[in-house]
Amino acid sequence: MDPVSRLKSTLPTLAATLLVVACVIAVLATGPLAIPPADLLSAAFGRGGPEAELVLTLRGPRLLAALTCGAALGGAGAGFQILFRNPLAAPDLLGVSSGAGLGAALALLLGAGTVLVQSAAFAGGLAIGGLALGCAALTRSGDGRLALILCGVVAGALASAGLGLVVIVAEPYSQLPAITYWLLGSFTRATLAEALFALGPICLGGAVLLWLGFRLDVLSLGDEQARSLGLPARRLRLTALAAAALMTSAAVALAGVVGWIGLLAPHAARLIVGERAGRLIPVSMAIGALFALVIDRLATAFGPAEIPVGLLSAAVGAPAFLFLFVTASRRS
Amino acid sequence: MSGLLLEGLVAGRTARGGKGFRLPPLDQRVAPGEVVAVIGPNGAGKTTLLKTLAGLLPPLAGSIERPRAAWLPPPGAVAAGFSVLHLTALGRSHLRRWSSGLAPADLAAARAALDRLDVGHLADRPFDRLSSGQQQLVLIARLFVQDAPLCLLDEPLALLDPAHARAVEAAIRILAGEGRIVIASTHHLPFAARADRVLALGPDGAEMDAPGRALAPDRIRALFGVEADGCPCCGGPLS
Repeated sequence: MDPVSRLKSTLPTLAATLLVVACVIAVLATGPLAIPPADLLSAAFGRGGPEAELVLTLRGPRLLAALTCGAALGGAGAGFQILFRNPLAAPDLLGVSSGAGLGAALALLLGAGTVLVQSAAFAGGLAIGGLALGCAALTRSGDGRLALILCGVVAGALASAGLGLVVIVAEPYSQLPAITYWLLGSFTRATLAEALFALGPICLGGAVLLWLGFRLDVLSLGDEQARSLGLPARRLRLTALAAAALMTSAAVALAGVVGWIGLLAPHAARLIVGERAGRLIPVSMAIGALFALVIDRLATAFGPAEIPVGLLSAAVGAPAFLFLFVTASRRS
Repeated sequence: MSGLLLEGLVAGRTARGGKGFRLPPLDQRVAPGEVVAVIGPNGAGKTTLLKTLAGLLPPLAGSIERPRAAWLPPPGAVAAGFSVLHLTALGRSHLRRWSSGLAPADLAAARAALDRLDVGHLADRPFDRLSSGQQQLVLIARLFVQDAPLCLLDEPLALLDPAHARAVEAAIRILAGEGRIVIASTHHLPFAARADRVLALGPDGAEMDAPGRALAPDRIRALFGVEADGCPCCGGPLS
């Protein structure tokens, strides 16, 4: 590839990343207390004024949480949509979000602390995702995709039933609001340690999806095509699904159930860079991160009471999705 | 390049309750550069046999000794939203062990193969937007890129207009001319008549023969149950 076309192919990813960085600076620098970006930079190296340091400690973890969750959900959503060749596939396809919700609700019911709640959510998401994958492996349908979708729906329904039970059993004045609030999603509660803790699995899953690259394109052609092109289809598909489920579980454990990002970001990315996985996944991650940042800023924009980001992302995401869908269908 | 050797190979599918089926055992040797046409009525097991030869289905019995195989599904079976060039270059996936992307050499090989089949001008179009005939030529270009010594083609001429069918058949000839084994199922009997050998799969057995004998009127009658002078579908000559 000559340098010009190489630059062309990396341009969308580069532009999206730069846009995210610009938004990060804007979000950090503005708000109730405005701090010039230069002061923030020196504060980041420990030489800034007390105000700048305060802003970094207050806004930093929350920003990191929004960025990582958005990127994780965007990337996982793109991975699922490619693997299933289905534009409606979203990160909770395998029931991962419901499982994480069930884990968190159980932990809250038992009166666990934040770390335990997040660990339980992470474990719950992976357990339900694993259940869906395991059930699908038992079937013998020719192409495993339909089996996976059905098993994901079944596993998710089981988790939802469990969640309903927890909600009924929960003590209505203290536990129930905590569970409801958790389920609606928020980036507020994340501390720096928690955000960094979630960063590990998310980076791991993201790196795996990015490495899979063109292999995801081959997998999207179906198992038989992939095998006849010399790739170990089952193993690669399982790797990709596990990576996407890992990212989703970590994101939901950190921020609760924030829907629509995983559905919306890949669609927006597809309009810009087309279908190829190698470009779609990084750009989806960047757009997901961007969307999460904007949503989080909107959450605090209307007065002192904060709107849960899960609500806002649906309120903004649903019309945005419709707009993207109409745009894409008119373009083709 | 080594040939294809089948010893007592039984292709078929297993299923509970006697719903599976077994094809008759095959003992055959196919030399590099040969074109074998597989004919037989619908449901005779042509696709199952090709998939077994490609290694996509396990044989029920017997052994198969084959070089690396490439498999082409019937027209319309491949759906891909990305560009023709990318889809063609994916034919070299097996060479990229650890990198996350394809190499410049893969794209160059894909472009050369597309140019060779006169579909180079379609390189940047999304594969989904092409006609069946164009799609089939692109997928055959991918066979060149894949460069497997054994090519298994499932109904490569189905759904194609005469001009595209002719172009696809010419491409199949080039594949074989470079020393690859080509085994293609077909209902287009004039194509079978121009193959090197014909494998007739019927309810009573499987027979491999020269086209002249395999396509004789009495054998066609026995195989398909229709009376025909020439090809039963198009009336074309079979010799």
